Amino acid sequence: MENIRILLVDDEADFRSAIARRLSKRGISAEQAGSAEECLDFLKNSMPPDVIVSDVKMPGMNGLDLLRRIRQEYPNTEVILLTGHASPQDGVEGIKSGAFDYLTKPLEFEQLVSKITQAYEKIQRREEKKREAVLREKMEQQMIITERLASLGTLATGVAHEINNPLAIIKESAGWMQLILKKEELAQMPRKADFEKALGKIESGVERARRITHQLLGFVQKNDSVLSEVNLKQLLEESAELVKREAADKDIEIRHEFSPSVKNIWSDPYQLRQVFINLINNAIHATPKQGKITIKLEAAGKNVVIQVKDTGEGIPKENMTRIFEPFFSTKSPGKGTGLGLFVTRGIIDKLGGKIELESQVGQGTVFSVTLPQYHELEEESEESRQSRFKLFDTILKK
Amino acid sequence: MVKIPMKILLVDDEKDFVEMLSLRLGETGEKVTPAYNGKECIDILEKNPVDVVILDIKMPGMDGIEVLKEIKKRFPLVEVIMLTGHGTAETAVQGMKLGAFDYLLKPADFDDLRLKAETAWKRKEEHEDRIRKAEAKLLMRKSGGIA
Repeated sequence: MENIRILLVDDEADFRSAIARRLSKRGISAEQAGSAEECLDFLKNSMPPDVIVSDVKMPGMNGLDLLRRIRQEYPNTEVILLTGHASPQDGVEGIKSGAFDYLTKPLEFEQLVSKITQAYEKIQRREEKKREAVLREKMEQQMIITERLASLGTLATGVAHEINNPLAIIKESAGWMQLILKKEELAQMPRKADFEKALGKIESGVERARRITHQLLGFVQKNDSVLSEVNLKQLLEESAELVKREAADKDIEIRHEFSPSVKNIWSDPYQLRQVFINLINNAIHATPKQGKITIKLEAAGKNVVIQVKDTGEGIPKENMTRIFEPFFSTKSPGKGTGLGLFVTRGIIDKLGGKIELESQVGQGTVFSVTLPQYHELEEESEESRQSRFKLFDTILKK
Repeated sequence: MVKIPMKILLVDDEKDFVEMLSLRLGETGEKVTPAYNGKECIDILEKNPVDVVILDIKMPGMDGIEVLKEIKKRFPLVEVIMLTGHGTAETAVQGMKLGAFDYLLKPADFDDLRLKAETAWKRKEEHEDRIRKAEAKLLMRKSGGIA
């Protein structure tokens, strides 16, 4: 109740200030307005209060008309009307027009306080519901994205599987022809160089396609994750070191902000390194010359959070939901496979973590990866889990 | 120096792939026999000498692992290299535990494939050589005992 904001509207200044004084003794602060017009002015110029207590009979605009205006323009504000003893029909009329309730004058102070309390509770319930609805919508959206990604992933890996075989056929055919061209009997073959050139192009094209299929299928494998103790600081430094040259080319500064309280975690260092390289690489690509990239490492309860923040171009809203989809890329063809973030997300999911992003066009993007301190692969048996837990505990205690 | 051809048996249900890889390996001087399923593979091994089998894991009917077991049971000296797709990398490891020489991811790099096949072949030759020497020793001892 301390935070509740009230506006008293009455043409009798003495009455208003008396009420305001008594309310303030209860810890409720109230603003005052001497007329409906003054009230509307107040509403226009400052944040609308939670509850307006208004007299009905006032010179100029009366309380009922004021009520209708408030209902129309400030739907989140509740109105309690004060009616004269002789005109209860005003109160009924007010409720019909959307007032929370009415009280008759002369005013019983306790009644007013309890009405205000009820109105405030109604507002809180409404806001709670609104928050719930927003949350529910967000969750539903998240689920749609997750399902979409899952089905796209299945589709993409299926396609990759099927494409591998014809790819192998093309590769062997081209390779065979190249061998034939090297034979002595063909030393004098006309336009031999043209054939060699074309075969070279076929070979590099196949190589490009092969990289895509391997990348796509790479993270689908379930069993070959090797879990071990991971020093994230070291791993992040190492990953940044690997892409240092590209950053230097664009004169980008990579900063490290590592919290010393982060302990080692139990995870898959090789896959995590791929995740970090992907994220830092993306940041470098998105950042213009002389930009800045910040890599942050923090403990967060039982989890650790890794953030990669850039001062790049940012991601427009319409791309935010699609960014983890396979083959979604804003780079030119051949430059990016559109699989980096898809694979990244797949790895993080598998390692029991989550990835989120925040982005502002023109300002930059932050990718946050949350990883659990311990992670177990689903396939692992209870037995080996226990024994490894013990091992890990002894490592930590040392 | 004249190259002694390696006798390779290439087993995969993907006909075009078998044909093209056979031709390519043939061009480098190896002697390649194609087979399109597990049964065919075993039939050929029964009739012809083979040094190295290049065996696809995913095949309809008898799969690569079953074929591998059969080969190791009946022709233990023949070396086997498994060809795997991405989803079957674990199966490849299982194959190596069952006696396969090595495995390759599809589509495999040609030089890689040749190198592994050559190494497998060499191992088989050395193995056979040792067997011959052991047999000779045994024979000497036996004949020595008679004399």
